[in-house]
Amino acid sequence: MSGAPAIIQWMQNSDIGTGIRESIWLFPIVEATHVLALAFSVGVLVWFDLRLMGWGMKHQPISQVHKQMMPLAFVGFVVMFITGVLLFWSEAEKCYLSGFFRAKVVFLVLAGLNAGFFELSTKKTIEDWDKYPIPPVKARMAGLVSIISWTAVIIAGRATAYNLF
Amino acid sequence: MHYLLPFFKWCDSTWLGETIRSSRIYFPVIETFHLLALTVLFGAVIVLNLRLCRLIMKHQPVQQLAKDLSPWALWSLVVILVSGVLLFLSEAMKCYASKPFQVKMMFLFAALIFHFSIHWKVTRADRDPGILSGVFVGGVNFLLWFGVGLGGRAIGFL
Repeated sequence: MSGAPAIIQWMQNSDIGTGIRESIWLFPIVEATHVLALAFSVGVLVWFDLRLMGWGMKHQPISQVHKQMMPLAFVGFVVMFITGVLLFWSEAEKCYLSGFFRAKVVFLVLAGLNAGFFELSTKKTIEDWDKYPIPPVKARMAGLVSIISWTAVIIAGRATAYNLF
Repeated sequence: MHYLLPFFKWCDSTWLGETIRSSRIYFPVIETFHLLALTVLFGAVIVLNLRLCRLIMKHQPVQQLAKDLSPWALWSLVVILVSGVLLFLSEAMKCYASKPFQVKMMFLFAALIFHFSIHWKVTRADRDPGILSGVFVGGVNFLLWFGVGLGGRAIGFL
């Protein structure tokens, strides 16, 4: 009937998928958690990104902002990921076939690669940046790519729910 | 609340409300701006209130952190309020009948009043607040804003 592969159809029709989809309370609760955890994940991260770009929080030492705020954002992302997987499970076919959802995954991967590269490489000299009002170019780029990709993730995620096109 | 019914009817019949309703695209687009701005504002709310509770950024003065967060947070609030009014105009009659909408508006007014009075005063004072008043003011501010968020999400479900 649809073009989704067997595993997607199996997820959608599994007890977990059907259970979340058809529950009066479960789907709204998981969905509300997914949306409000945005504040803890992207909401906190975006302030670090603004600091990285030299656009905000200018008086806060950048290494402190990173050390104090990233653990919080990480917990936020764990909540986002778990609730996101559950939402996908319950609407696997719709998501798989949605162009917006595919775009969301692409931007999620981009955001992940950008964050990984920052944490493993760029960040090494972060203590030195405290001395400058504006961080080096590679740090500013990391902040910019992060903000753009997470904005795209949110837009694509919202559009997936509306099933616009 | 029937004395407000004419007001809701008028909102529902405004040119803006009807224009947004007439398109499939306008509402989702406006709502996306609402959500993006909410992300920035709530991020600031979380950071500042956790600082008041002395859980993060302990070595930074509250006043400086509050000032650093302010410009983006206030502009986000403007975007949220403008987009929120537009969304409301497009479905004012649905909101009139919605319990979550009433709850959200009560939380919103309480949050705005608390934020720009007690919370503002405490976070702009020259000296950091004590731990008890910090936890109290930070906790109340956080709960009020998240009441707004939860109420808003519930409008779409209930």
